[in-house]
Amino acid sequence: MANSLAPSPSIGLRSVPLTIWRAIALPLLLLVAWQLWAMGLPADTRAPSPAKVLAGFVRLTLAGDLPLALIQSIGRVVAGFLIALVLGLSLGLAMGRIRWVRDGLEPIVESFRPIAPMAILPIAILFLGTGTPAALSIVAYAAFFPLLLNVMHGVSRVDPKLVLAARTMGVPPLRTFTHVILPAAMPSVLLGSRLAMGSAWTAIIAAELAVGAKAGGGTSGGIGQMMFVFYAYSIDLNGIVVCMIVVGVVALLIDRAFRGAERILVRGREAT
Amino acid sequence: MGLSGFDHHDRAGSGALDAAAALRRQAPQRLRAALGSRPVAAVRSFVVVLGVWWGLSLWNANPIQLPAPPAVFAALANVASDGELLENAMISTGRLALSLVIAVAMAVPLGFWMGMSRRAHAYIDPVVEMLRPISGIAWIPLALFIFGVGDTLPVFIMTYVAFFPLLLNTIAGVRGVSRRLVQAAETMGVSRAAIVRRVIMPAALPSIVVGFRLAFAGAWAAIVAAELIGAPSGLGFAIEWYRQLLMTPKIFAYIMAIGFVGYVCDQLLQGLQRRLTPWTDRSRG
Amino acid sequence: MSAASAREATPKLRFTAVAKEFVAPRTGKRTLAVTDVGLSIEAGEFVCVVGPSGCGKSTIMNLVAGLDAPTSGTITMDGRPIAGPGADRGVMFQDYALYPWLTVSQNIGFGLENGTPGRGLSRAERDARVRHFVELVRLKGAEDKFPHQLSGGMCQRVALARLLANGPDVLLMDEPLGALDAQTRLILQVELLRIWGETAPRAERKTAIFITHDIEEAVFLADRVVVMGTGPGRIRAILPIDLPRPREEGTRADPRFAALTKQVWELIRDDAYQAIG
Repeated sequence: MANSLAPSPSIGLRSVPLTIWRAIALPLLLLVAWQLWAMGLPADTRAPSPAKVLAGFVRLTLAGDLPLALIQSIGRVVAGFLIALVLGLSLGLAMGRIRWVRDGLEPIVESFRPIAPMAILPIAILFLGTGTPAALSIVAYAAFFPLLLNVMHGVSRVDPKLVLAARTMGVPPLRTFTHVILPAAMPSVLLGSRLAMGSAWTAIIAAELAVGAKAGGGTSGGIGQMMFVFYAYSIDLNGIVVCMIVVGVVALLIDRAFRGAERILVRGREAT
Repeated sequence: MGLSGFDHHDRAGSGALDAAAALRRQAPQRLRAALGSRPVAAVRSFVVVLGVWWGLSLWNANPIQLPAPPAVFAALANVASDGELLENAMISTGRLALSLVIAVAMAVPLGFWMGMSRRAHAYIDPVVEMLRPISGIAWIPLALFIFGVGDTLPVFIMTYVAFFPLLLNTIAGVRGVSRRLVQAAETMGVSRAAIVRRVIMPAALPSIVVGFRLAFAGAWAAIVAAELIGAPSGLGFAIEWYRQLLMTPKIFAYIMAIGFVGYVCDQLLQGLQRRLTPWTDRSRG
Repeated sequence: MSAASAREATPKLRFTAVAKEFVAPRTGKRTLAVTDVGLSIEAGEFVCVVGPSGCGKSTIMNLVAGLDAPTSGTITMDGRPIAGPGADRGVMFQDYALYPWLTVSQNIGFGLENGTPGRGLSRAERDARVRHFVELVRLKGAEDKFPHQLSGGMCQRVALARLLANGPDVLLMDEPLGALDAQTRLILQVELLRIWGETAPRAERKTAIFITHDIEEAVFLADRVVVMGTGPGRIRAILPIDLPRPREEGTRADPRFAALTKQVWELIRDDAYQAIG
């Protein structure tokens, strides 16, 4: 959606700087206002300012804390996403193609769907403790539903004529599945993956934040817990803002990467 | 949801249907539509889930980790009868409603402005796109600092979460208004202001309503995190409270309540969508 | 000179050396849609514009409607240049442009309710007018339906009723029957002529510009057929159609009908082949 909403690129060399100027004008203004506001406060203030946030970012990066926390969080998201991918793909394909599987499972899926990942967290902690396994299960839970629903709708909406055409050409069922149904459902699978990755990233931050919050800053790590430590122990608002920005940038990169993959893979298919 | 609600009536088969039979079938059909799936299969599935759950709890033999279904239903009856469940549910839905009202009040006018003015869009969109990737959850620590533990924090987080889908869908709705419909009004001598009110607003409404449903879903997912970490009341708080007391049956009871309230709200919103925008295709809700 | 003869001397619509060029917003590429269009249309005249796709038929209509301005040349109505869209020229779009959230009656009354045509009319007068046109286009019983509940033919009648309810001087119709099946189309052609006022004296008829790619349709409906060609869009020929009115099914069997149709086709043929090739 963001793509179609973007202002259309202007033509001519002279108008390009204007477009860029427009894009940065308001963010720049807000940043300057924020800095000026912070500079007007007493010297011992805890309030964050752009300069202090930047300094904090450099410090945390050089000390290695931030990269380490980031790697931990991303690693958990990827692992949780892969679990969800395996489950979501296999169940989604089964529910999309086989009537009785869908009839049996859909009510259960629909009753779990409105339960937020964070509501499952206390149970996960009871079973798995406050470490990585609990966080992984939350991530997998969060990523599972978008994957499952999109895969299911993707394969169940494949044009029956395509399947019939393959049958009239004598293509065996398994080959029909791998060569007709899967490719036709590809856009939905990719869309589901992108949405799943987005909610997985949100869920890991929430899980780490809450686990950190309740375990009193254990060793489970991750960027979410880093934020909690800044909140509860070192009272470093600049550090919190650094983490927020990093969380946002990673979310943006994940989204762009999956959109890019969608464009490449789906466009290749449309051309055939 | 509603997807499979249409094709199964054909089962009646080859014989001609008389009007009486069609009438008799109407009420169950509505029930089926409400359940979103075939009721028999649904009941069978829930029985299986209940059986598996019970078996697992016996095998696990640790009621603090996995209580048996009767204990959970007893806990549910308990919190429901002493009014505690209702109170927490009212608190949570009250915060939700307040957040959605604030988000609509901010996002819809801004969305109209950005949708109709290219210039406004060019200036404001970068800020929106900068903030949007930062999830509402990531705001919790900072917001805890600013607002403390209380009502304001969950309302702030939910308003933030609800804001973006509403804004983007309003912009998309306004920009997606068919040029033809605007031109048709122009050729009937309709003034600019009346075109905005009578053409652009209703034409953008379906997209805004969809945005509202997305906003609700996001806010409902965020409320648990927000209350779990930073509120002294509400459904999310209750879950965390009973986890600390290791009263697992009540945790399960509250999780079910969260699912149930979320489901009911979504059904209400779907009904609202049908009522508000009956002309749109609703093959997929 | 008396007022009456002055009115006679000024045509309802006059195109003088009209050209319209489009500039693509991103690439800056220029396309000449129509050029050198000169034409006078008398009050009460039914003019059909035919031509292959890409000859700028719809451009002509947008220019008259005031939705677009010519790049050069002038278009006047009653001697005054057209400055923008207005309710004196009613438009019926190819895709009907009905408001999906309004019922049939509300769609027909949209201009009366929100635009200039309803000025000075009481609620009761507006309602009466809507009812009158509902009956005229034979939509009684469907007043409270929404467009998505109607067939293509019924949508087309709603659009026609809406056009007429606003009481425009000039009717502009852009392939209004284009989306219909062949049978419905034939029926609605006769009906359109009835509503336009074929049986009424010429002074009571509306001025109509009807755009179509269907040659038989053009010959059947028109007082004059304007044949357009491509590359760039321009007027090839203007043919008077001297078939007697009122026209009915028998008109199509008239040997003159066949001859005129053939004549139009011969004018278009080369362009049409080019359009496909």
